[in-house]
Amino acid sequence: MSLLKPFSKLPGLNSANILLVESKEEFQQSLADALVQETAFTVNVRLAKSLPLPMENEESRPRIDLVAFIIDLTSELSFQSTEASLKCLDPGYFLGKVCFMVTNARNAAAPIERLDAVRKLAASLHCPLLFTEDQRCVMFSPLQTPDGVTNATERLLTILKVAAGLVPMATALYLSNLTRSTVSPDIDQPSFD
Amino acid sequence: MAATLSLSGSPGLDPSSSSDQSVSSRSNNRSLRVAEKERKKNEAEDPFVLALKYFSDVEAGTPVHGNDEVEKNMVMVEKVAYMKGLSPEAISIMLEFAMSLRMGTTLCARVLKCLIPATVVPQEAVVRAVVWLGIGKIPISTRILFIKWVLTVFDMIDAKDQLRAIYGFIFSYVTEENLFPFICHLLYLLTRKESVRVFRVRKLLELQSRLGRQPFLLSLLSLYKVFCPELVTLSISSRIKSGFRNHNMPWKSALIAVQKRNGSQVATSISLASAIKTNPRKRKHCHLELPVLSSVVSKEAQTDPSSSRKVVPLVQLHSFAHILENMHRIELPAQMGSLLGSSLALQYLDCVQDESALLRLNFWLGHALHEEFLFCGDGGASQNSEEALQFLNTLLSTQHFLQEGFSCSEAFLYKFLSVWDGSLLRPQILGLLSNIPVVPSSQIRRLLFEPLMQLFFTSSLFFKCGLMECLNNMLLKWLTWHSVYALEDDLDISLNSHTSINMTLSRFKDSVMELVDFVGQLASLSLQLEGCHSLLLSFILDFYETVCDTFLKYGLPLVVMPTPGVFYPALFATDPVSVDRLAYIMYRYKVNLTSAKSQEKLTEVKAFHISRQTFREFNHYAVVMVNCLWNSNMFQPDMGVQLGEELLLKSNVPQYWTSFDLIHHPAFMSYAVDFHQRCWPERKDMDLNSIKHSKPWSWYLEYLFSQGYDGLKQFVQSNISRPLTAAGGHVDRQDDGHVDRQDNGHVDGQGDRQDNGQDDGLSTLQR
Repeated sequence: MSLLKPFSKLPGLNSANILLVESKEEFQQSLADALVQETAFTVNVRLAKSLPLPMENEESRPRIDLVAFIIDLTSELSFQSTEASLKCLDPGYFLGKVCFMVTNARNAAAPIERLDAVRKLAASLHCPLLFTEDQRCVMFSPLQTPDGVTNATERLLTILKVAAGLVPMATALYLSNLTRSTVSPDIDQPSFD
Repeated sequence: MAATLSLSGSPGLDPSSSSDQSVSSRSNNRSLRVAEKERKKNEAEDPFVLALKYFSDVEAGTPVHGNDEVEKNMVMVEKVAYMKGLSPEAISIMLEFAMSLRMGTTLCARVLKCLIPATVVPQEAVVRAVVWLGIGKIPISTRILFIKWVLTVFDMIDAKDQLRAIYGFIFSYVTEENLFPFICHLLYLLTRKESVRVFRVRKLLELQSRLGRQPFLLSLLSLYKVFCPELVTLSISSRIKSGFRNHNMPWKSALIAVQKRNGSQVATSISLASAIKTNPRKRKHCHLELPVLSSVVSKEAQTDPSSSRKVVPLVQLHSFAHILENMHRIELPAQMGSLLGSSLALQYLDCVQDESALLRLNFWLGHALHEEFLFCGDGGASQNSEEALQFLNTLLSTQHFLQEGFSCSEAFLYKFLSVWDGSLLRPQILGLLSNIPVVPSSQIRRLLFEPLMQLFFTSSLFFKCGLMECLNNMLLKWLTWHSVYALEDDLDISLNSHTSINMTLSRFKDSVMELVDFVGQLASLSLQLEGCHSLLLSFILDFYETVCDTFLKYGLPLVVMPTPGVFYPALFATDPVSVDRLAYIMYRYKVNLTSAKSQEKLTEVKAFHISRQTFREFNHYAVVMVNCLWNSNMFQPDMGVQLGEELLLKSNVPQYWTSFDLIHHPAFMSYAVDFHQRCWPERKDMDLNSIKHSKPWSWYLEYLFSQGYDGLKQFVQSNISRPLTAAGGHVDRQDDGHVDRQDNGHVDGQGDRQDNGQDDGLSTLQR
């Protein structure tokens, strides 16, 4: 099984490469379109349904700086596919070059246990857990907040910049210490007072 | 069949029940007229009236299977129900038909599922149905469905007095385990002070011992406790989360659809969408919204004209004077959410401190927030809708008006933060966040700081700035709360309002310390990650402007110095405003520390003790700042920034020790150049060091201060004494930039710091 390795290739100049892994392949497209709009540095987005990546592209593929797994909480398949894909990553990625992005977290159809399981997974791997709203909102006022995709893009770029080494004095591992997800005990406990 | 049943209840209710019937018949007339109009327009209406007639006349025992007629009529009724909702009369008929089990149990559930009211639900129908609940052999699941239906349409029931009259009857159902949660919810909505009796409390407690501390039971008991605290001795946590689950699933979407279609403004708490549509109306035209309810209430009171207990519904009062007149007999509306928009109602609520009303309001609010933002049915597609935004804005303005938050919104926020993406409804969420009351320091990290940290470092610069501002507001509110409510002699500070917090002074100080430390941590890390962005720095300095004055402005005996990760970026910032603000902050710190020190000496009470560490830190910062800006003496050993000499020499910067003084500092160099040109316009070569001579130096300072840098001015005046004699001052200057100092109240140039081992932390500043 070919593992995806973080440091086996040289980085590009003023550029960053991100891999979006989503088993449903819906959200990643709009996210990718927004990501390439970034002008401060070149962002190359690669999309995948799951890992391992096909062997044919092995040579031409650049060094992947950040792997973002997109999990839809309303689908069990999404979560399982992510868990399976994780095994195809070199452990070096878990030093801040992996992040999890969760959609539909506030949906009533998403069972709470699944969200807890994702949280536990992210916490055990010391990775950040980002929540996104994947709905495009309707423009109703000129002063409205950016919609879910724009925001998700901004957040991914924040992490990507550090992971690609474009922020001086900050490494991916350093940032991951600050952003890693934690599993807190249930807020609803009666002892909360 | 409907006519033969008589209503139970006291005789005093009869006038009101007849008026009920007149009210309902009026609305029935209206709906018949409407129905007639519809019929004239559309022939398809005819089958509906026929179908209703069929259901009201059908004989008991008619078979269902293979009965095409009943199927046809049923489909007709369902169609109308889902399209525009059923009229009160139709509901009456259908409910009667279903609950009496005239055609067996199979149709009952089906009818209940399609009972979507168009306007109101007649009270008698519900009462009759409750009676059937006891008599008939309705299967358990259908009973549960019925109760759920009552809960769903509760606010559409036109009056509640008869339901309240049969409170005991409804209460008797608590023994049935399957119905228990739903009956509890219904009782919760119907309970009044009169309903709380010892035997009922005993029964509930007995059930609790059998079934455990179920949330619905606890909510009902807490409501009982609010009404009669002496009867319920159980200790119940004051922060009850939403104890009742949502029961309106089968009807919710249909109800929303029907109401949208009808454009009706009926008071309801079914869905937030309709509640939001009615809320703005309620704010301005309350009396239009609940005429049925209020008139029933006042008529009920009029049955006893001799008694002065004429209850005035809150919705009828329109001015503050009115409220003052009727203070003792105001009745709150059934829908507590309608109070949120009206400032008059809020004033009344705040003044009267009616715990049951607050409990109900909290319950409804928590429920609404959870429903709309945490467990969205459609995954949040409507989240950026006007209604959600307006709701939150209303809530924010309410909290702003009351000057504090609701406990339910606090609980909601903690849950929401853990699934927030950072941009959805950001201004509102940050606004609500700044309103949360003081969090105990043992919980604050887990509840607040961890989710915030995860959001902070992955979000954009603007979110970081927004969160800084939010935390600043939070600190401001906490400090204000303390300064208002802290008792002078007592170290115990408690708040008698919606949020009953009991907190000692030391615990409060702990929480504030935690918050300030947390912000300091966020600030220093984010400044490094964002390359000392000036916008972020500005928000951070805002925060420290609040922190530096905690003692003098807010009376909190606590002084916390800024972290080095904030101090140095501000000192070396490339924009003069940041340096100026830093100077102002340092000046305020000095004022606070000196006053604290003198107070400690005066009062002899060790209530307030600033640690030596704090003084040391301050001294260190002050010395660094003066050395850097004034003495042109950077990079000395055990100053703040240490760089090896070889490295500095390698940089090829001439006279590197002057590189951050008031002339060469990147922020002020433009002013120095400008000054130089004005001072010596004929000179060709720019020699900035010539400003350092005594006369031009004082002129230069005056020039700087005249540009609006008051912070610098105050800092210089408080820390550096420059005796200005007629000859232009005799501040000796040596070539290597040392300045000799005169005495009284300024900073040493070099080394002279003495720490005599006493607690005289500011000894270096005052000799």
